[in-house]
Amino acid sequence: MKLGKMAWRNLWRRKRRTYITALSIGFGVLLSVTFTGVADDSYTKMINTSATMGLGHVTIEPGGYNETPSLDKRLANASSIRDVLLSMAGVNNALARIMGQAMIASANKSIGGAFIAVDPVEESGGLNLFIRSIVQGQVFSGSDGQGVLVGARVAKKLNIGIGKKLVYTTTDVNGEIVSEIARVTGIFETGVSEVDGSMILLPIDRVRKILGYGPQDATLISIVITDQRRVASMRDQIRSRIDDPDLEVLSWRETQSDLASIITLDKAGNRIIQLLISLLIAAGILNTLLMSVMERTREFGVMMAVGMSPSTLFRLVIMESIWFAVLGLILGIIITTPWYIFMHNHGIDFSGMVGNDYSASGVLIDPLVKITMYKESVTGILTGLFTLTMLSGIYPAWRAGHVPPVESLKEL
Amino acid sequence: MKILTIASRNVFRNWHRTLVTTLAMGFAGFIMILFASLMQGLLQASEKNAVSMDLGDIQVHSFDYLEDPDLYKVIKDPDLIITGLKKAGFYAAKRLYGFGLISAGSASAGIQLHGIDLQAESGVTQINQHILKGSWLEEDDPDGVVLGRKLARTLGVSPGDELIFLGQATDGSMANNVYRIKGILKSVGEEIDRTGVYINEKTFRELMILPEGAHEIALMRPDRTTDLAEATREVSRIAAGYETLNWRELKPVIARILDLADSQMIILVVITYTAVAMLVLNAMLMTVFERIRELGIMKAIGVTPGQLMLLVYAETFIQVSVAALLAVLSGVSLSRYFEHKGIDLSSFAEGASFGGVAVDPVWKAYLTPKAVAVPVIFLFIISFLAVLYPAVKAALIQPVKAIRHR
Repeated sequence: MKLGKMAWRNLWRRKRRTYITALSIGFGVLLSVTFTGVADDSYTKMINTSATMGLGHVTIEPGGYNETPSLDKRLANASSIRDVLLSMAGVNNALARIMGQAMIASANKSIGGAFIAVDPVEESGGLNLFIRSIVQGQVFSGSDGQGVLVGARVAKKLNIGIGKKLVYTTTDVNGEIVSEIARVTGIFETGVSEVDGSMILLPIDRVRKILGYGPQDATLISIVITDQRRVASMRDQIRSRIDDPDLEVLSWRETQSDLASIITLDKAGNRIIQLLISLLIAAGILNTLLMSVMERTREFGVMMAVGMSPSTLFRLVIMESIWFAVLGLILGIIITTPWYIFMHNHGIDFSGMVGNDYSASGVLIDPLVKITMYKESVTGILTGLFTLTMLSGIYPAWRAGHVPPVESLKEL
Repeated sequence: MKILTIASRNVFRNWHRTLVTTLAMGFAGFIMILFASLMQGLLQASEKNAVSMDLGDIQVHSFDYLEDPDLYKVIKDPDLIITGLKKAGFYAAKRLYGFGLISAGSASAGIQLHGIDLQAESGVTQINQHILKGSWLEEDDPDGVVLGRKLARTLGVSPGDELIFLGQATDGSMANNVYRIKGILKSVGEEIDRTGVYINEKTFRELMILPEGAHEIALMRPDRTTDLAEATREVSRIAAGYETLNWRELKPVIARILDLADSQMIILVVITYTAVAMLVLNAMLMTVFERIRELGIMKAIGVTPGQLMLLVYAETFIQVSVAALLAVLSGVSLSRYFEHKGIDLSSFAEGASFGGVAVDPVWKAYLTPKAVAVPVIFLFIISFLAVLYPAVKAALIQPVKAIRHR
């Protein structure tokens, strides 16, 4: 343990240099936490928002529906599947829904759109973005009524308001064209203009009748889970629990592939920047250690001459880099904590710059930027920076161990 | 001049440190140049998808058509306006829009019908070349239609398949007809991908019973580098009595993203370069402190504090210059490579969009002077700020103390 003490003392022979090097590691902690935390927070928000736009984190649907979602494909026993799901741990809720395309028309106008048929008793704002975003009126009561909830731009395009009638037209299970009248009970505005301009919500039992579905039928079951990060394992658990070859159990990565690709793209950019910053920090540490080794050439020569082995010197310098890492990480935690507390609780509002309607792959991006760290990200950053610092010590340590004793003593 | 000679010799005295510092700075600059040009490429592609695939530069509509798109709200004399626009040098095309339901087998979807003047449209947008499968519309094939990508997937159709259209014509009757799919578009944007159906102008007029007028005139400037706002004013004079809006007003989200790109890049550059700053600060601080005796002697024999400061700056300047040169050489050549080759994202980024505009499946870089200048200029600025402390330290050395320093 003497080596550790010696390394520690060596560190403080050049105080200023040690402080700056430790500060650069600490700065690395701050940057990594910011980049990772902002990304994790915004991905989680986007995934959870997207999950409440109809399909959920995990979706159970008839085979082939994900490829070509037509209304003749349906689940026959939606409610019994739902009961199984609700008993599973980690499942927040599971809802049977019918999702499809429709032409929506008022007295003299028609637009192309999409509908989600839901049971208003089971739905709530937390599970359904459209219900959460109601700006006028309310959800229809009863699943067999004639109510309809429309997007703000649908209402505008069709020139209708609360209490007004619209007609939706779609194809039933047999491919026949069917129409039904509905009365607007509420208007929602999500902020994504494509969604607000095409989406309507309908009562599920009424839609079942029109489409020729049985009373338990649905096109899909949308499952909202408590922790989106566990989606892959939840999907596999649900898949083995349902165990029906005719059904597909898919995660949001498969059903909402547009969002998945945006997130993948963003993650890749984020990784590159973090890698670059890590390399710069590593170069700084390498520089410091290399210089400290070179200016101690004579000292190392003496140490070797009095009997220290090259491997001991190697370990001494590695020990110094470990101390640097420890010091840097502690400093990092000290400077990052207040920043994290501020960013986690308050965040920075960018709505003045980007506006409130910035979307990616049809999902709204919250302009209020916050930081959320998960346990695995914290350990990842700390071990990452620790390893990095140690690695940058290898070359200087190797050099320290290879000082030719006699020649180095000849030097000034 | 002497200072530069001394500085360059000093730089080589500890070539280990110089090498690590310069390479690290150069590498940071290289990544930033590459990043900036890739960023520019992404934005250029978004603008292209928004403007030259769909919107055009400027659009003319009847007032409140955009607020409330109604089959009856037409521009009454589109040909007159188009003649006027052509005289002023613009490319212009009229467009017709209708809504309805199309079905194929048991699948159906609500859609927006785009009636296109084929010849004029090819002067305004390049949508006719943006085909994923099949081919674009033809004048002598009135029953052919072209579909958006996601719409084709929803319906499970491919070129050659038949579609039934159902909608409401201007006289209130049911518009109903069978069409054959000619082609499927590549990604343009959320709205067109999900609901866009393109047909010939003539077919549209017969189907919707709309013999004259147009819902929209889309136009493109002959020279896209001219001032957009000025061109918009000129168009609004020609199309008096109608609403004239340019693409920035039509898609404010995209315009905002493009405007923000520069400041975003600067923020990113400054953040990453803070790591560079620490590196430079530490390296230069070391050079000052290990030479403290030497600097003291220099001062004792009459070198002024200003000259010492200049010396430290000259040493930094040499290293940053070499780093910048490395960064520009490597950054520009790799960006050039990605300008031609592009990064193929189609395996995982199919159908992604930002602000409603599709992301191209092949991500190409676009090297602008700015993409090189911002990383290089900031490399100098940040390094110079970082060495302020060591330089001042060197200038304020007290000769007697310094010479005694051990």
